[in-house]
Amino acid sequence: MAVIEVDGLRKVFHVHRKAPGFWNSVRALVKRQTVEKVAVKDVSFAVEEGEIVGLLGANGAGKTTVVKMLAGIVHPTRGDARVLGMRPSTRDDRLRRQMALIMGQKAQLWWDLPAADSFLLLKEIYQIPEARYREQLDQLAAMLQVEDELYVQLRRLSLGERMKMELIAALLHTPRVVYLDEPTIGLDLTAQRAVREFVLRYRREHAPAMLVTSHYMEDIERLCPRILILRQGELVYDGSLREVIARYARTKVVIAHLAPQETPVVPHASLAALGTVTLDDDGATLKLEVPRDAVTTAAARLLEHHPVLDLAIEDEPVGAVIERIQQAQGDEHAEDAVVADAIGARARVEEGRA
Amino acid sequence: MIRAMRQHLIRPRLFWQVLSVETRKLMAYRFDFWATTVVSFAVNLGIAYALWRAIFDASGQEEIGGFDFVAMMRYYVTVLIVRRLVRVHERQRGLSADIYEGTLTRYRLYPTPYLPMKYAEHLGGLLPAVVQVVVLIAAVLLVAPGDVVARALAALTPGALVMGLGAIAVANLLSYLLIVPIQGIAFWADNVWALDTMMRFLASFFGGILVPLALFPDAARAVVQWLPFAYLYDLPVRAVTGQLGWSEWALGMLAGSGWCVALALIGSWVWHRGDRIYTGVGI
Repeated sequence: MAVIEVDGLRKVFHVHRKAPGFWNSVRALVKRQTVEKVAVKDVSFAVEEGEIVGLLGANGAGKTTVVKMLAGIVHPTRGDARVLGMRPSTRDDRLRRQMALIMGQKAQLWWDLPAADSFLLLKEIYQIPEARYREQLDQLAAMLQVEDELYVQLRRLSLGERMKMELIAALLHTPRVVYLDEPTIGLDLTAQRAVREFVLRYRREHAPAMLVTSHYMEDIERLCPRILILRQGELVYDGSLREVIARYARTKVVIAHLAPQETPVVPHASLAALGTVTLDDDGATLKLEVPRDAVTTAAARLLEHHPVLDLAIEDEPVGAVIERIQQAQGDEHAEDAVVADAIGARARVEEGRA
Repeated sequence: MIRAMRQHLIRPRLFWQVLSVETRKLMAYRFDFWATTVVSFAVNLGIAYALWRAIFDASGQEEIGGFDFVAMMRYYVTVLIVRRLVRVHERQRGLSADIYEGTLTRYRLYPTPYLPMKYAEHLGGLLPAVVQVVVLIAAVLLVAPGDVVARALAALTPGALVMGLGAIAVANLLSYLLIVPIQGIAFWADNVWALDTMMRFLASFFGGILVPLALFPDAARAVVQWLPFAYLYDLPVRAVTGQLGWSEWALGMLAGSGWCVALALIGSWVWHRGDRIYTGVGI
């Protein structure tokens, strides 16, 4: 059964615009120009229990607005959203007790207090029984290895430690629906990995429905088997991450590790006709990015013209593929493919519902 | 119906916990804690002293509007102490800052109503204010001449104390409810600093902080009694200094409570409307 159901969700914001300069500022005191900005355009999708879904899109694509509508922070202009069968915009306490939102860019905890004090307050807010609170806090703090930092004023913690505290705060009441809005933003690689592993472990143990937005492809690759791609407020892809590569990756990269040679390596002229050739600084690795149907020819030519020790064939990086889908506007071919896929995605969602 | 009503109420345990967290927050910074006590009190009292000394000297009168110079100073000491307990926070921009900075988002996620929770935060400033007031009273008792202290203490009967505490409690709630609709305008205007300052000035002037209401012309005093500000400072001061009978006090409490109900309804309407256009900063 779907935990999150979104049907034709739309959000229009009214924003003020002001031309730059002194006189325009004076003019704006009397008359202001207001424009409509459609942040989310009739988006439909569903998320099942225990599923982690990645919500991707460039800045301003509408990801955070979707999350805010599903968390009941922003009211939709049109359409319907149901989380655990309830409308988030009604802010029913029964729903709010089972929901959490973690925003990487915005601290939810009290800045001037140790996290332990904030957690006590959250215990009261969510009415968590003492024994369960103690058990949950101990478990989460141990998983994230922050037991010693619980009693330090939040503002004195590092960014990574603060994010770990935010995660604990959001999950103390064991929510069934979790929204993670850029949970690893600004964190170093170790902290990013710790957060990702924690999210996966939490999902294994509690099976909540999770919606994750992130600009870091590693977050998406590690956490989300299924992704939704938003472009200028429209849902242009809803499907598996693996399928994105199969469908939209145009190239593959053939990597040849070469045997040491006395003379400097010069890539054979016939390779350039197939695709983009790059040679690393020490002349030991030759990379050839070619259309997918030219992979065997490229591999054969590399083996024929160069002393290859080892050969590897890799897919185009998933980030590059998604970036292309996000920026497909203006590219007629890609646009058609993306729009067709969006229609297919919607049809799949509707089929699923039916 | 009952569930809808419960959504506007906060559990006592949670109310206490929020209040306690706010108290701990305010006492986390020692310098700010003591500076707000000494600076604000000393500056305000210094201005009142210099101004009224000059007025009394220039006019050559012993009494103005029923106050001699000592009574006037006693009034200002009392009103400044009452203000500390009523306003509690020096800067009351928490609600509009939540809208402007997007911290309202945090409260929107919690299964508990926002405005009562913020009142608990507002009240959390009371304990630090009480500590500061005790220190101030001790300082005044040390500095003031013995006969002035004796006269002040004589007026503070148990009845006056009960009436004073009751009036301060209503005034404290009223002080919070006055800012709720004003700061809710930040949903539309983003920055309500000017409105906030205006409200602070009106409260100080018509509440009796700048000039005792007893010095206002009769017609103006009659109008002021219909405004909420008189119940913020004037009523508690008159109660605590033994100038009120029980019936006058009860009438004042009723009027103050009526304003609380009216402002709670207006505030709730403003916030309900504003809530629909809240964006949580950024779109």
